[in-house]
Amino acid sequence: MSAETETSSRVATRTYKPAMPAGWWLRKGHYFWYMVREFTALPLALWLLWLLYEIQRAGRGPSGYYPPSSTPFVVFSVICLLFALYHSITFLRLAGVILHFKVMDKPVPSGLVVASQFGAWLVASIVIGAVLIGFGR
Amino acid sequence: MSAKPKAVQKPALAHLFWWFMFSQGGLFAAVLLPVHIVVQGILGPLGIVPVVDRHYDTWISILGNPIVKLYLLVLISLPFFHFAHRLRYLLVDLGVPAAKTVPAQAGFYGAAVVVTLLTIYVLFTTAPISLG
Repeated sequence: MSAETETSSRVATRTYKPAMPAGWWLRKGHYFWYMVREFTALPLALWLLWLLYEIQRAGRGPSGYYPPSSTPFVVFSVICLLFALYHSITFLRLAGVILHFKVMDKPVPSGLVVASQFGAWLVASIVIGAVLIGFGR
Repeated sequence: MSAKPKAVQKPALAHLFWWFMFSQGGLFAAVLLPVHIVVQGILGPLGIVPVVDRHYDTWISILGNPIVKLYLLVLISLPFFHFAHRLRYLLVDLGVPAAKTVPAQAGFYGAAVVVTLLTIYVLFTTAPISLG
């Protein structure tokens, strides 16, 4: 009896410590792309900080302002764009899982919800692109 | 009869706020950011299309517009509330459990607040507000 109590109390106080090897996310493609999705935040944050810097530089006056044209900057933007597209596609596709609507008491198919998100992305891109290019010279 | 006091259910307002900022930040980054990178980061610098930030006069003029200022505030600051959460959990997944602690949360979400304040400061000090 006492041995049994001892064992059960010892079991009760044991803590489960999950052991994850350092490179667990390299084992499967699925894990890897999950980590890439989380990582997208870093390049996107850097690009937005660059945009903020670009805005700040306009405050230096006409003689102090010059637009970025270097090859490294374009390469940086291309890399950021790949991560941005991955973020957009994975994030907007989630809407089909998260958002549930009913129209006339019938649930809207998730494919339609996702399509509407991608449609909104397309429309927003066209409008913003038109403003950025249209106000340029 | 139970002697236990009745549990009071309180809405988790702080939780609601940070999740709202996370989801909205992710949405704004997803919908708005790629076209900015394509136009301002690639097509403009390569000289393929005229872009508003390629010349001082067009850039400072559009930056003075209050609607543009509000738009840029949303575009730049909101995604950082999303990024803060993503990067914190990236650290957790890479084996840094300290990223789950309250000081880490304060650091990451605090950084998003700092970026928001910095963006407000830059937008208000760079170009005077004008409707022209």
